[in-house]
Order: sequence, then C-alpha cells, then structure tokens
Amino acid sequence: MAPSGTVADPLPTSTNDSFNSGDTSENDIRPFFVLHKASSGSNLHGKLNGTVKSKRRIESPTPKIAKRSEVESVEEDGQFFSTLRLKVFETVWSKIEKTIADVLRNSNSKVFSGIYDWIRESFESIVSSGALRISEAVRSYPVLTQASSKQLLTAMVLTRNLEMVDDLLTFQELELQLKTQGCHVAKLSSMDFSAKTSVGGCLRGLLRQFVMPTIDVADVTILASWYRENKNHDNPVVIIVDDTERCCGSVLSDLILILSEWAVKVPIFLVMGVSTAHDAPRKILSVNALQRLCAIRFTLSSPAERMDAVLEAVFLRPCSGFTVSHKVAIFMRSYFLCQDGTLTSFVRTLKIACLQHFSSEPLSIMLEHFCQDGINQLSDKGTGLLTEATMKHAFHLPSVTRNKITRSTYEMLPQFLSDLQRMPNPWSIVILCIYEAGKYDKVRLLDIFCETLDPEARYLRYFSPSATANCQTHDSGRSCVIRRVLRKLRDLSPSQLSNMLKSWENLTADFSEINDKVMELHPFMRSVEAAGQRQGLPNSPKKHASRSISKHEKELKAMTDKVAVVIEFMLREYMKPVENVPFHEILCFKDVDKLQSALLGDPRGRIQSDLLESHNILHCVCCSKRGTNLLPSMHDTSILYTLAQEHADVINLHDWYQSFKTILVPRTSKAKPKSKSSSKSKKRKDICEEPEAPAEALIQARFCRAVMELQIAGLIRMPSKRRPDFVQRVAFGS
Amino acid sequence: MPIEESPKVTRRSTRSSSSVTVENPEPSESHLPTVDDLTFGKESITLDAVLSIFPGRRSQIFDLIRLMGPLNCPTLPIMIYGGASTGKTSVVLQVLRHLNRPFVYSSCRTCYTPRILFESILNQLLLHRKCSSNGYSSAKRCDKPSDFVNLLREALSNVIESLESGSRTSRPNKSDGKPMGKMVYLILDNVDLIRDWDKGSMILQFLFSLHTVLKMPQLGIILISGLPPDVYYSNMGYTDPLPLYFPEYSEEDLRQIFLRNQANRKLYSAFLDVVLKPFCRVTRSVEELCTTFSSLFRKYCEPLDDLGISPNEDMKRRLYSNLKPLIASCLNEIFRVSSHPHDGDTRGERRQKASCSSENREELEILDFHMSTSAKYLLIAAFLASRNPATLDASMFDSTGGMDNRKRKRKASEKSMEKKEIAEQEAVMKGPGSFPLERLLAIFQCIASVGDSSFGEEEEAEDEDPTGYEKENSNLMSDILLQVSSLCDANFLIKSGSCPLEGSIRYRSMVSEDLALKAARSLNFPLSKYLYRR
Repeated sequence: MAPSGTVADPLPTSTNDSFNSGDTSENDIRPFFVLHKASSGSNLHGKLNGTVKSKRRIESPTPKIAKRSEVESVEEDGQFFSTLRLKVFETVWSKIEKTIADVLRNSNSKVFSGIYDWIRESFESIVSSGALRISEAVRSYPVLTQASSKQLLTAMVLTRNLEMVDDLLTFQELELQLKTQGCHVAKLSSMDFSAKTSVGGCLRGLLRQFVMPTIDVADVTILASWYRENKNHDNPVVIIVDDTERCCGSVLSDLILILSEWAVKVPIFLVMGVSTAHDAPRKILSVNALQRLCAIRFTLSSPAERMDAVLEAVFLRPCSGFTVSHKVAIFMRSYFLCQDGTLTSFVRTLKIACLQHFSSEPLSIMLEHFCQDGINQLSDKGTGLLTEATMKHAFHLPSVTRNKITRSTYEMLPQFLSDLQRMPNPWSIVILCIYEAGKYDKVRLLDIFCETLDPEARYLRYFSPSATANCQTHDSGRSCVIRRVLRKLRDLSPSQLSNMLKSWENLTADFSEINDKVMELHPFMRSVEAAGQRQGLPNSPKKHASRSISKHEKELKAMTDKVAVVIEFMLREYMKPVENVPFHEILCFKDVDKLQSALLGDPRGRIQSDLLESHNILHCVCCSKRGTNLLPSMHDTSILYTLAQEHADVINLHDWYQSFKTILVPRTSKAKPKSKSSSKSKKRKDICEEPEAPAEALIQARFCRAVMELQIAGLIRMPSKRRPDFVQRVAFGS
Repeated sequence: MPIEESPKVTRRSTRSSSSVTVENPEPSESHLPTVDDLTFGKESITLDAVLSIFPGRRSQIFDLIRLMGPLNCPTLPIMIYGGASTGKTSVVLQVLRHLNRPFVYSSCRTCYTPRILFESILNQLLLHRKCSSNGYSSAKRCDKPSDFVNLLREALSNVIESLESGSRTSRPNKSDGKPMGKMVYLILDNVDLIRDWDKGSMILQFLFSLHTVLKMPQLGIILISGLPPDVYYSNMGYTDPLPLYFPEYSEEDLRQIFLRNQANRKLYSAFLDVVLKPFCRVTRSVEELCTTFSSLFRKYCEPLDDLGISPNEDMKRRLYSNLKPLIASCLNEIFRVSSHPHDGDTRGERRQKASCSSENREELEILDFHMSTSAKYLLIAAFLASRNPATLDASMFDSTGGMDNRKRKRKASEKSMEKKEIAEQEAVMKGPGSFPLERLLAIFQCIASVGDSSFGEEEEAEDEDPTGYEKENSNLMSDILLQVSSLCDANFLIKSGSCPLEGSIRYRSMVSEDLALKAARSLNFPLSKYLYRR
C-alpha cells in the first residue's frame, strides 16, 4: 500500500520522476523482486519505492512525458537543464513566496497596530491609577481593591476561518511585533492546555517563556516576583492563546481564574484567537472564568479577502511571470471553496503547480528573465540558452502550431517572448478595474480572475446584441460575474461612482490607451455630481429618487452607460486570455489532472482500489494473466478484500474463511501449479509449491493476519458481541 | 466558586493613607523581608473603620474577633464559609489588619498543588522571597504532609521567637504596623478547591487535623471556603473547626456597598433605584454586579453633561427610559464582547450592507466565518444525525419515506400522542444524540448529492464547463475525514468512545440549530425538510 501514501506528498515524486533518467534500467528488475518479497533486500528497497512511484506517474496518460523523454534522450546535457530548471524554480518560487508573505503581513498590520494601541492605552491607565510597592506586589494575599480590578483584559481576535492553519503564522507575527514594541509576550497553544497536565502545564509554559527555561515548580508567584525585577514592570505582559476552541476548557478557565487573582499585581493582557463565532469562549469556559474576562473584539480579514489580495499580488501585479490556465484556476478556486478553505492549501496548490510546470516544461527556464525586471535582457541572454532541441520543442508547442508560426519565423521568437512579457499588463489592469467596479457588490477577485482566464472568452458573448437576449433566458441564474458587475453598475451611487473612477485613474496611469478613455469620463462625472448637489441628495441611490430629481437620475444613467461602454471597450480590446497567446506554455501551467492527482490523495478510495487491483502495482507475471479469477499467489489481504466484495455489509466469518481456503487450496488439479513451477525460476518454485499443501493452521494464521490488516486499513470492523461470527464492512469511499 | 474580597475598599483610599506614612518608605530591590511583613503591612485601622467598610457584616466581624480571642490567646481552627463575593477574605484580612496580628495567607486557587501550597506557607514564614538571585526557588522543598509538619514547626518556632523579642523592644503603640502578640494565623483561602485535587480528600483531612497534629497553640488556623463545613466532615477524629457563616447580602446591603465611594451619590442612588431590583433577582454577587453596573452607569450618564448634578424626578424618568432597553439584555448575559472602535465600524457597515442588499442572493455573509462547502455539509449532516432518530434515516433520505411517516402520525391516538410528548421531553433533556462515523458519512453523502443539484447553480459559475464539475462531486468526499477532525477541533462535534480501531467511536453534534440553519442557508440547502419534528 505504499504507493497510495505517496500521492499525499507529490513533491519528491514529481522531482523524482522528471529528473530521474535511469527509469529504464530499473524497469527490468521490477517484476523480479516484487514477486519475491523475502528477497527484497534492504539495499534495493529504496529503489523499489522509487520505481513504483515513477511508474505510477508514467502511467498517467500525458503526452508531454513522451515528448520530454524524447528530448532527454536526444540531449546529452539534459541533466544540466533539469538542474537549471530546478534552480529557476527556486528563484521564481522564492519570489512568489515573498510576495505572498508581504501581502499577508500588510493585511494584518492594521489589526495588529489596533491591538497594540489597545494594550498600551489600557496599560497606561492601569499604571496611572497607582503603582504597587514591591512588597505589596509579591505578597500572597490579594490587594483589596474594587472587584472590577479582577477583570482580565482580553482581546478576542476573530480569524473568521474554521481551519486554524492560516492563522498560526498570523499569531506568530503578532507575537514578534508585540515583542519588538516592548511587551513581554508568551504564546500558548492548545497543546499547553491539555487536561493531562492541567493548569500546571500551561503555567510552566508561561514561566518558561517569560522567566527562565528551568523552573522547578510552576507557581504564579514566580511571575509576580519576576515582573517586579529589572524594570520588567515598565511593560505589559501579553499572553497569546492562538486556538481557543481547541483548548481544554477547564484548564483554560483555571488559568484565567489564577491570572485574574493576580491581575492587579501583574497587568496581564490575554489575546485569544477565536476561529468561529465570537461567543465561542462561552461554550468552553466556565461561568466564573467568563466573568473575569473583559473582552474586546478584533477582526482579521476573512480568508476570501486575503485570497483576493494574494491573487492580485501574484498574478495581476508584476511578480514572477508564472501563471495558470483557466482550468487550473477553476480547479484551485473550487478546491478553495469546497474542500479546504485555507490560504495555506491554496499556496501549497500554487507551489505544486509551479513545481510541476518546471518539471514538465523545458522552456520554463525562461521565467527567470521574467522574474528579473529587465525587459530586453531576454533577447540576447535568453536565446543564448536555447539550444537546437529546445527550439524544436518550442515550435512544437500547441499554441505555436495553432497560430501557424513556423521555423521560418525563428527570428521572431524574441519578439514573441517580449510580447508575452508585456501582455499581462493591460489584461491585469482591466481585471483590476472590473474588480474595483464590483467591489461595492462584494464580487470576489477570484471569480473575476477565473472567468477572464477562459480562453474561449465566453464573457464577451454578453456584449454582442444577439447573444444578450439569448443569455438572459438560458442562464439567468448562472452567475456570470462580469455581467453581474455590469448590471450592478446602475445601482451605484454617485459617490461610489466617483470613487471608482478615481481608483481606475490610478490603475490605468501606466497605460495611456485605457487611461484616456477613463479621463474622458470625468466631465460627465462632474455634471452628475453637480446635478446631485443641486438636488441636495448626493448620496441617495437611484431607487429612492422621486420624480422631482429625474434629471439627476437621467444624468446618472447616462453616466453609468458611459462607464459600461468603457468596460466593454476594455474587455474587447485588451482581454486577451493568456492561453490564446503563442508560446504561452512557457509561462502557463495547464495540466489540471496532474495537479488534481497530486493534491487530492483520496487515501481511502485509493486503498480500496489498490487492494482490488493489486497486480497493477505488483506487476507479477502470474496475476497479469489471471483475468478475473483469484490466484493463490496473490496477496492474502487482496484476496480477502476481493472476496468481501461478494458480501453485503456484514460478512460471515466462516463463509469468508472457507472461500479464502478454497482459493489457497485449489481443488481442481495438480497439473496447473506444476506447469507453473516448471516454467519459472527456482525462487518462484518455492512460492508456487507452497499452496500445494498449506497446513490448516497456516491458512488460519494467514486469514487472521489478512483480516487484521483490513481492520487496520479501516475497511472492516471486528465482530461485535451481538453477532460474534460476523464482521461488518465499513463500506465507504470506493 | 472562589471567595472574592469585597469591593468596599477602593485602592485609592488605602493608597492615599499609606502614602502619608513616613515610616514606611518605598522599599528598594534589596529590601529584606522581616517579621513585620507578616502583618497586613499598612497601619492598622480602628474597629469602626472596619465596620464601616463592610456594611451588613457587623455581626460576622464581631463573631470573628470573638472567635480569635484576645491577644496571645490560643484559638481553635475557624472555618468561614459563604457564597461567592460575600466578603469573606476581605473581612478576615481587614480584621487582622485591625488587630495587627501576624498572619500567613495562601489561596488554594493560586497554589494548585499540595507542594506549592506547603512551600508557599513555608516561604512566608521563613521570610523567603523568590527572585532571580535564588533562581525563583522555594526556601524548602516540601512535598509530603509529614515533612510539612516538621518544617512548619521549625519555621513557626523561629518566627514566634523573633516575635517575642520584637514585642519586648517595641513600644506598645497599636498603629505603627508592628505585629502584635505571639500568635501567628494561617489563612487558607478557597479550601473547597482542594476537593478536586489529586488525593484531595487526604490533603483536606490533613489540613483539618493540622491543629491537633502540630500541637502548637501559637498557630491559629482560619479556613475560608465557598462550601459549608458539612461537605468536609468525615469522622476522622479531629476537632471540627468553628463555623462562621457569611450570608448573601441583602438588597439594602448592596445599595450601601455600591453607594460607598461614589462621587455623586444622589445620581448613583437614582441609578441604583432603577437597576438594583431586577439585577438582585439574578445575582447578588458583588463582583458580577460591579462589572455590569459600571458599564451600565456609563450608559446612564451618557446624556448628562455635568456629572455633579442631583437629578430631579423628570430627569430620572428620562434617564431611565434611556437605559431601559439595555437592562433586559444585560440581565441575560454574563459575557460581553465589546468591539474595538476601528473594528466596530467596519463590521457595522458590513451588517448594514448585508441588510440593504436583501435582493442579493449571496447570503454567505450571515455566517460570519469561513467554512468550506464540504465542511458545511458535514456540519449539517452531523446536526441531522444528532437530532433525528437513526431509525428514520431511511425514510428521511428516501423521497417517499417522509410521507409514510406523516400518515402514521395523523392516525395516532390520544394516548400515543401523550407518550410521544413524554418522549419528546425526554429527548430534550438528553440533548443531542450520538452517532457513529458511518452514519454521519452516509447522511453526508446523501445530502451532499441532493444539495449539489441546487448548489451547483449557486456556487458554480462554470458547471456548464464539461471538465470541472463532474469531478468535483466525487472530490467533495475525498478529504472528508480531515474535515471531521477540524469540526471536532472547533467544538462543533465532540467525540466519545474508546479505541479508534474498534470503530466504536461515537460523535455528537454540539451545533445550535441557529448555526446549522445559517450554514444550510448559505448552501441553499432545505434543512427543515430533513429535520424530524416530533
């Protein structure tokens, strides 16, 4: 079952399969030592894994692989290029990664500074209300003050995502930032709040981070004494708990109660990351602890918002040049929405896509030059790298043949490439403009991005007058995002419109053709605004307008029509999806199947299908010609599982065993095994002679082991007390 | 419930008095604790002052003083008990401050293991302070009760010796903060918490018999507990401590307490007229009331420019009508999350927008955190599995089955209806039912496939696309176990059961109907159709 596991970690696999040129020699020995499990020595074992993996990859029917192997066989310095590609991948990816990290940092910075300001303000007010003397502060009995002073100031940071993965980094950064601003910060995770170690565990964690690593007894008084030493009391103490929902509620309650008893002596600020609703603490904490919290709420940007920011930075702003095709984008979008709504997994998907692009596309090395900002380097240095073979490859790219570009236009290649490099600019500007227009309707950049990548440009249909009526009837419910944006334009208020125009102006500043069009809109805008002011209702949306301001309304309508015309113009002139451009394969990753198989492991289904078709993996000679009947030489677990298919959801153990036994002990004839053993090598003989007389005890033992394996794989459940001779199939997934 | 000190002494008042004392300069870092530090630390106060700080606690204060007896008189252990926030700890501390007698205080909240408790007591007696120079270690390492007795005896005799020598030299001036007498009092707070400790009953017995075991009349033991002494009795042959009960404050007491230290007593009194009565019915805990009142009073005063005025009837009425809508909501909540100024604006705005664009079909905003589609389906499946009886699954997820069920219901006789009602009540008492993983996954598969037909229209713009969508349906299933675990992490599902290999693990949905409805709405899933209503 090893191969099913490899699907989950595709990175080594793909590098292995693309950069490993020794496949052919290993292919020869495969059937040999898979059959003889005992002899699969330790030295061969690693290789075995490798071959199985790469074999699986090769089986997936991709035409590119054939091409690649051809290229590799022709080229003697293929090795050089593959290492080069890996190197370029590293530069490209590090750039993308850095961009993403920057975007995320920016998206959080506002909330972070809000938290810091709140901490400072509250701390100042605590300090100004009177400092304690040291003898008071470390004493064991409480300072007798107002009851409200037992309140623990708490910041609830809403991460607004069920999954916690994205925010681990967020809280790390918060910790770092607060530390640089002088606070004493400790970060606890749900691991510290386990019921097993109780409150001592998390106190120990706190003291380890604040005071010193070796603490004999985790006692809060230590915290109090430490806080009074060495000017420590000039700064607030902040404790970050990043995943509140996952903590053991009673332990967290205990900690809150203890800390609140000392809250006057040590001003503690609690920062709790809450991933669901803001009342989640109510569900896990005890009443006493809840009363002690004086909570304030901070909200991080939602995953979808962050996703849009990342998308904009990576694909629409000049970043690395790497891009994805329509289908890949759709897949990534649906993976994000349906499967695993975390940014982390999105970034991982992107990384896999990027790596696979580099491993399958020889010309991807050119991305290095896109990465660097220099425009014209490409023409000399880039073509210098192009050897005869890669050139040949380049002119066999589908996009090139489709456009009927031939070798005769060899000199044109640099021209094409620099076009390619320039190409995304107006395209991304238009997308961002549409995004701006759709912002008031909460349209996601992700949706627009996916739609505009469509190579057939179906969104353009909506502009041709003949199609308009057609569309409205046949898919009025289907959301064509761009059409929705256009429709909603009419609902925008003048102020929103003018804001939109301003941002358009900024966006198009570098691109004069669009910018001119946008500038043309300004006089209209001014007249609309003037009309609105005359009416004294500058902000009222169209709906509420009465008869008396119909002139204003008319102006507004004229204005939105103008805007719609500009959008249409932009779309028609500049929306050239990347997949329609010659040589786009250099930049664009298209193989959605590969990405999908790398990302969606589906381990349960995989285990079942592998068990049913074990010969596809083992490649033994005997099984390959077995057809549908089971052979004794098959793996026991596989035999049992195949037999189990004949049963309903409960399997009678006795029947199962009997059918297992009949397969191991063939009743028909002795000739069949004999002929086999004579034809094969000596080692095969050992195995094939075995089924001739397997002892009853041996069969039972093998049966038990196989059943156990099925149980461990989660496919069956052991007999219950009620029905002791039946196992239950946990039938799911296949 | 922990024992709260009463709120009557504001920090400001005690601090201002302490700053007047010239004899007590700010101690430096190297200040070494002496026997003097065993007293309350500030100049003592008169009995009248104590009585005035604690309205409604007059008899308890006199009782306590009487039980403690005159100077240098050995006492039996005393147990003070009463509900939360009834002033037990503060009364004891202030009485000791008034009597100026040395004492040692340890709270079993802070000292959450026997070892920390013992060492904390010994540290105080040995005048040891944890600091960086001694590696924040205790003076003595003490794990076992037997060691503790020996060490305590030793430490105590040292302290008493120095107390005796001190009392011989010092002037008989009561108010200088020097300890009086040769008795040391040991105050143990939150004793009820010990019951939850590992081997807690043993420690409790030890503490109750400490007085007899130690055989040192110079140690007076005062136990403070939230629970009455009955819960500790175990016939182990030690003398029971003398009980002293602190009852809940009456409404009048609470008024007195809250009126103390108010700048504008008339205004606050008007405020109390309004709020005290309804809130007293909910809780009498001073601590709880204090936090609620402070925020409510701020709201109450909002319309006023001058906080110094004394309100007339008309103004009172207006202020009340202002406050009225807030009271009801405050009565029900114990946990409030205020929003940060910057933060609140954006959220408020979003709310408004969501309500404005009601014709907008995308109602995802209502669920204010992000969940993937499969997680939502799983959440709904878990909710259904917990609410519906397992026997009805077949009929619920079969298109014809639902009708049968309804027919049967119509035929039901009076008696069976009654029975059903009882069963219904029982089900409510039992809470959400548990279910095995397989049932969850089966329901998930059903509703995900049903939901997809309607869901495709809403979420998937590209389902006319021949490539994307077909695969997606099957993929919805692939990482499902991962989603189960993340739902568990978020406390939406809870696990119970034993060995995971046995497969007997059972889950239970902890989701409110509200949240499940929200999730269903965001998917356009007809949840109510599938929910079995008795």
